[in-house]
Amino acid sequence: MRPFRRKGDVLVAKLVAAEVDIVSLLLDQLEQLLAADPDDTGGDPVVERLLPPGHVGDPEMAADYRDLTEAGLRSGKADDLAMVRATLPFEGGEVRLDADQARAWLRTTNDLRLALGTRLEITAETEPPDDPAGEEGSQLAVYYWLTAVQGSLIDALVAGRGGRR
Amino acid sequence: MPTVRAAPGEASYSDHVAGPLAPVWTPETVSREESDLDRPWVTVVWDDPVNLMTYVTFVLQELFGYDEATATKLMLQVHHEGRAVVSSGPRERMEHDTSRLHAYGLWATYQKDA
Repeated sequence: MRPFRRKGDVLVAKLVAAEVDIVSLLLDQLEQLLAADPDDTGGDPVVERLLPPGHVGDPEMAADYRDLTEAGLRSGKADDLAMVRATLPFEGGEVRLDADQARAWLRTTNDLRLALGTRLEITAETEPPDDPAGEEGSQLAVYYWLTAVQGSLIDALVAGRGGRR
Repeated sequence: MPTVRAAPGEASYSDHVAGPLAPVWTPETVSREESDLDRPWVTVVWDDPVNLMTYVTFVLQELFGYDEATATKLMLQVHHEGRAVVSSGPRERMEHDTSRLHAYGLWATYQKDA
């Protein structure tokens, strides 16, 4: 991966084919999770983290919030995910994003990190794996790889703020 | 941050007592119900181990129009104190703010200001 950098109005990174495969697989899994019947994913900590309660302490108010917002949040995440998929170079290569696509990437890479982080029970003390070859080590390595991708995208977006508007 | 304000329609001494020290409202007469209505709601962002500090700062600027210094201060408050109030106002707007933060994956809730 070559991290995101700003080139004029676009943000550009480079991914190799194996990285694109991993992202595609994660996108498929996230899509399935978000499209699943809420009754089947009830209590799943990842879904709980991606669609958290808006209010704590008053169950009626929490239910109201869910009724009001959940469908919109789910469809927004699905739209972001589709946009990320559409901008992936399937054989590997450059990712080129405009401002809207960059925000879709930010939100989706964050959802993927939240999902993986929840499954792997990441804490503030978690560190990159010593052995990236093992099952948990490889998932943790993917998590930190996504962190690097998202981090470079944020830095490139922030760098573009000064003087351009 | 919310500041203490006189509830509309409160009994006032100012009709009877002139001068700069005259109280304009009397806290004792504010009923619980009225103070609840008058109290704004807040949106709270909570600390979590996944969201990057730069990301939280970026999102607060993006969604609320905070300048970088304000957004950074709120982000650090989340990081060090575990939570920060990022907006306040009517309940409907706090629901909306909470859902916008949820769209970006921040851990947020709304509640009546304590």
